[in-house]
Amino acid sequence: MPDFSPTQYAVPFFVIAVLAEMIWSRFRNREAYEPMDTLVSLAFGLGSTIAGALFSGFAVYVFFTAYEYRLIDFGPEWWTLWWAWPLCFVLDDLKYYWVHRAGHRIRWMWAAHVNHHSSQHYNLSTALRQTWTGAFTFGLLFALPLVLLGFHPAMIAICGGFNLIYQFWIHTEAIDRMPGWFEAVMNTPSHHRVHHATNPRYLDRNYAGVFITWDKMFGTFEAERDDEKIRYGIIKQLGSFNLLWSVFHEWIGMIGDIWRAPWRHKLSYLLREPGWSHDGSRDTSDMIRARWLARNEAVASAISPVADRNSIESPEHSA
Amino acid sequence: MEIPALLIQSGGSLLAIFALFLFARWLRLGGKPKLGTEEGVASAASEVIDGFDMSGFAVDDNGSAALARDADGRIILIKRHGNKFAGRLLDHRANGKAWRDDHPEGRRRPRITVNSGDALFGTVTLFTDEPETWASAIDAL
Repeated sequence: MPDFSPTQYAVPFFVIAVLAEMIWSRFRNREAYEPMDTLVSLAFGLGSTIAGALFSGFAVYVFFTAYEYRLIDFGPEWWTLWWAWPLCFVLDDLKYYWVHRAGHRIRWMWAAHVNHHSSQHYNLSTALRQTWTGAFTFGLLFALPLVLLGFHPAMIAICGGFNLIYQFWIHTEAIDRMPGWFEAVMNTPSHHRVHHATNPRYLDRNYAGVFITWDKMFGTFEAERDDEKIRYGIIKQLGSFNLLWSVFHEWIGMIGDIWRAPWRHKLSYLLREPGWSHDGSRDTSDMIRARWLARNEAVASAISPVADRNSIESPEHSA
Repeated sequence: MEIPALLIQSGGSLLAIFALFLFARWLRLGGKPKLGTEEGVASAASEVIDGFDMSGFAVDDNGSAALARDADGRIILIKRHGNKFAGRLLDHRANGKAWRDDHPEGRRRPRITVNSGDALFGTVTLFTDEPETWASAIDAL
């Protein structure tokens, strides 16, 4: 069985790439980096590695137990099946899409994933802002179908590692657009900038890991526009560089909400979308987008000429 | 005594993190943007609450913070955070205190200290005119 962790080998590359982007930032866009923000992002990365080493035991146990009940047996030397690797990579990326989508739409999952979005910057150091608390969600359940199908947990872990490495380079403003064919199929800096945006138009869009096709397939794709400046971060920006607050703020908020909520609403604060409240006092991303859409439609109809709205007066009927 | 690999790796990573942090400082990345205009404050406020229709504002003398209100009486506190701005829609937990102490240069500089009611967001002081009006409005929330 191969004992190989691609992310460990990639760490020196991550450091060199961040250094290179900082130099780019110095000459092209000095605001792209903020030293304290970078310090917090990198500390997130280190903490995530430690948390992974400490808390991944339960997931490993579940995966290896589930593997005993696999539907298809790829044999004792499963790693020699060349075709299983790309297949596993694609299916793992599909899994990533759904676990990531759940990470934005279920507050319990969001409590762990919000870390990755808590920076108001978008640079390569942001990519390293990874969760410390993923082991305390039910995210591992999304990988179980792959294990039960017959893919060895180690193969899934290696594919997941390459998936994570791929996602590193797309966290940058240094690259505008990739060639059209690439943008059509792959996740790119442009597509992922949209994902990190708080602009109402872009909220909860582009969940893809490697292949943007999943978003196009499942109706969550939004293309980046050149006429709208992206604002990065979260709806309620932290306004603090306190690392522990950044890591745990959503857990603290969620547990507080569950504690205070009437009994019949407690579970909703765990399983419904971030921003949901039983008294309607807060905004979800859907509510923000709906308000933004309504406002824009009102403005558009106010400034459009009568001919655009009145079919009798429109050019097609006036000839 | 054998040192665990995770400890060595973490120690090395910690050194690399501080090296990158110092490098970013050495390159003088970041900067300190200022809120100077009505348009700038309105834009920052609309990032806190999308569609916030600002009807009045107060901005700190050095542009590091601002208060914005709308026709419904809602008030947003904005502060510089790194080289970006972050804000809070104030509620009953917030309070404002107006000051008119003597300025070191001899001028009387009115200012307001706003406690956002959010411990981690903290307290923000703005040197601005009419701090009493803002303090009353914040305390009435």
